[in-house]
Amino acid sequence: MTKRKMFLRMITASLVRRRSRMLVALLAIAVGATILSGLVTIYYDVPRQMGAQFRNYGANMIFLAASNEARFDLDTVRRGVACIDAEELVGVAPYRYETVRIHEQPILAAGTDLDGAKATSPYWHIDGEWPSARYEVLVGQETAEFLGLKTGDVFNATWSSGEEEEDVLNLGVDMKVAGILETGGSEEEYLYMSLSDMEELAGETEKLDVVELSVSASADELKAYEQDIEANVPDIAPRLVKRVTESESTVLTKLQSLVFLVTAVVLVLTMICVATTMTAVVTERRKEIGLRKSLGASDGSIIWEFMGEGLLLGGVGGILGSILGFAFAQFVSVHVFSSSITYQPALLPVTILVSVLVTGLACLLPVRSATEVDPALVLKGE
Amino acid sequence: MFFRMIRGAFTRQWKKMLMIALTIALGASLATAMLGVMMDVGDKVNQELKTYGANITVVPKASSVIGNLYEVEGGESGETAYLREDELGKIKTIFWAFNIVDFSPFIDTEVTLPDGAGVKLVGTWFNHHLALPTGEELDTGVKNLRTWWSIEDGRWIDEGLDVYEPNCVMVGSVLAEREGLRVGDWLHVSAPYGENDLIVCGIFDSGDDADEQLYAPMDVVQALSDTDGYLTSIEVSALTTPDNELAERAAKDPSSLSIADYELWYCTAYVSSICYQLQEVITDSVASPVRQVADSEGAILEKTELLMVLITILSLIGSALGITNLVTASVMERSNELGLLKAIGAKDGAISALVLTEVILTGIVGAAIGYFAGLGFAQIIGHTVFGSSIAMKPLVLPVVAVLVLVVTLAGSVPAIRMLLKLRPAEVLHGR
Repeated sequence: MTKRKMFLRMITASLVRRRSRMLVALLAIAVGATILSGLVTIYYDVPRQMGAQFRNYGANMIFLAASNEARFDLDTVRRGVACIDAEELVGVAPYRYETVRIHEQPILAAGTDLDGAKATSPYWHIDGEWPSARYEVLVGQETAEFLGLKTGDVFNATWSSGEEEEDVLNLGVDMKVAGILETGGSEEEYLYMSLSDMEELAGETEKLDVVELSVSASADELKAYEQDIEANVPDIAPRLVKRVTESESTVLTKLQSLVFLVTAVVLVLTMICVATTMTAVVTERRKEIGLRKSLGASDGSIIWEFMGEGLLLGGVGGILGSILGFAFAQFVSVHVFSSSITYQPALLPVTILVSVLVTGLACLLPVRSATEVDPALVLKGE
Repeated sequence: MFFRMIRGAFTRQWKKMLMIALTIALGASLATAMLGVMMDVGDKVNQELKTYGANITVVPKASSVIGNLYEVEGGESGETAYLREDELGKIKTIFWAFNIVDFSPFIDTEVTLPDGAGVKLVGTWFNHHLALPTGEELDTGVKNLRTWWSIEDGRWIDEGLDVYEPNCVMVGSVLAEREGLRVGDWLHVSAPYGENDLIVCGIFDSGDDADEQLYAPMDVVQALSDTDGYLTSIEVSALTTPDNELAERAAKDPSSLSIADYELWYCTAYVSSICYQLQEVITDSVASPVRQVADSEGAILEKTELLMVLITILSLIGSALGITNLVTASVMERSNELGLLKAIGAKDGAISALVLTEVILTGIVGAAIGYFAGLGFAQIIGHTVFGSSIAMKPLVLPVVAVLVLVVTLAGSVPAIRMLLKLRPAEVLHGR
């Protein structure tokens, strides 16, 4: 029998025959590796997932016309939006503001892409439904109270072009209140309708007033987009909504460092736990070491064997832990953020390497102390 | 004899016992730290989310925004409703006064600059020192409510200092550029009810409408608009509990609730109940949540708490398995000793009692050390991340104690049972 065969046989035999103890050790390593890979995966994914949550605060970038002469229509906006990574774009809502007359009162009306508004302003509370058909509108709560409108009411809206003759002929459009908008902010004084309805009411014009964008990106990335758009689409003046971007980076940094510290503390403590368990499992075998030594095994070969065992356990535990850890991270992601987690492929070798290192180190210390002692003493049980 | 054996185990095998105690201490400290942080993370993140500014606005009942539209129609003669400045202190007397972090009154008026341009002048508190009837003292104002403003030049108006130079004004960056204003310049403003010379003491960049406005201390603006003692709005920043179904029902109509529900709602820090309580103390006011801030806060708080709960559960499982493992390993290691005890006639019960007492004694020592170490870890996390200490909930101690007890028993009982099943001769032989 060759030396290598004997080595392998001794390792496998000790793993198989001492099944229960090896199971204990393997479990410890697997738990450690699970925590390592699970928490690190979550740590890397938190900014992305949490960033998506922060989009609840609404638009973090707006487009304005660069100057009064600039072309600022849907096409220009599309060119501006093209500069932003489509994956990061949460919503785009163009707005055109006009004053319309309802019950002879001047009311501010906004024409927008209602689906875009829904995406950029998830915090809008609608009492009723989002408009789905033509001539259906959202009415801000203040305006609704002022005009005495309720969900389902139909009212007549006219638009004044400024010329009296035309105004007499202008019969306006009958519109239906699909829902009452409650935000607690200035949106409550407006009337929201789709851009096409607005065009029919107030006439076609190419010019938008403002475009709200909600982009899931860090403050630095947003600044880069801002410069990019300014350079590529000269008609657009992009502006960051500082209130949202500044606050987001403050809070997000805190959250990330929280997860980082928690991960660090948990990892250090878990790794020590794994190490002590391994040490206990190996210390138990001092007698075996003594016996081998008295049979003539060299210190080197004994250390090698034990290390081989440890490394095997570490490798298997590491692989097991990687799988379990990913499953845990996925579970957390689905339950907390209702989205899938992105897997970090680099984590697999790192997890295995760390578990092998920890187990190796944990084995090395007790084995070395056992080999240093006189075999007779060890065998006697001291 | 029993105690002697226990004492013997601790004095002669102190190294092994130390290792068990150490592992239990590690597990217990992990559990303590994670539970402590988890239970307090909601409050801490809530504090952080205050950087988004006020989540409640209070406006006079009759006015509201439509009033401004009216003014366009009816000119300056239009009746405008105001809130009363002397009622501001009452905000800190409501049931949830402790949850009100900051608030600031606002009064605004249109002023004309020398070149004829009309500008909005906002009067507010910057860092107003408030001595409350309750004896509490508090510094509050827009400096806390507008954390995203960056001062491009000059400084914030300091109300503590500016009693000697009360005519300070802060200018929005867009306006400053347009008018060519710099820090230290004098700016003459005229309003329908008076005029004044103000000195520019800071230029700020806010990234919103405020960039085209002027901000000055309350009394300056009140003098200009002849509204001494009156306000147009109040912004309140409060720590709130995320809304649930009850809160939504209550927000629509508090009187529709049953008495028990009403009390539960009134005594929970929902944004709607705080709004309701504010309306009770401020005459003729409407307090409404700023959905953009209030809703998003709720969502983020919920997610963060859930995330921390799951991470805590993982680390609890981890530390539990770690302790169980080590205890099992260390009990099995003593198969020879237990076999010998059995061979010389010890009863199963006596052996179990002996081993369990040892393990539990070690567990108690380890858990005690771990608990205090865990408190330390939690404070390290609190101070590094949030810059404030974590308030440990009293629930943490019993949870950790029960956890350690259950886990050590779970680790030792199956191992002892397994060893007792073996025949002493076999065990002693080394099988």
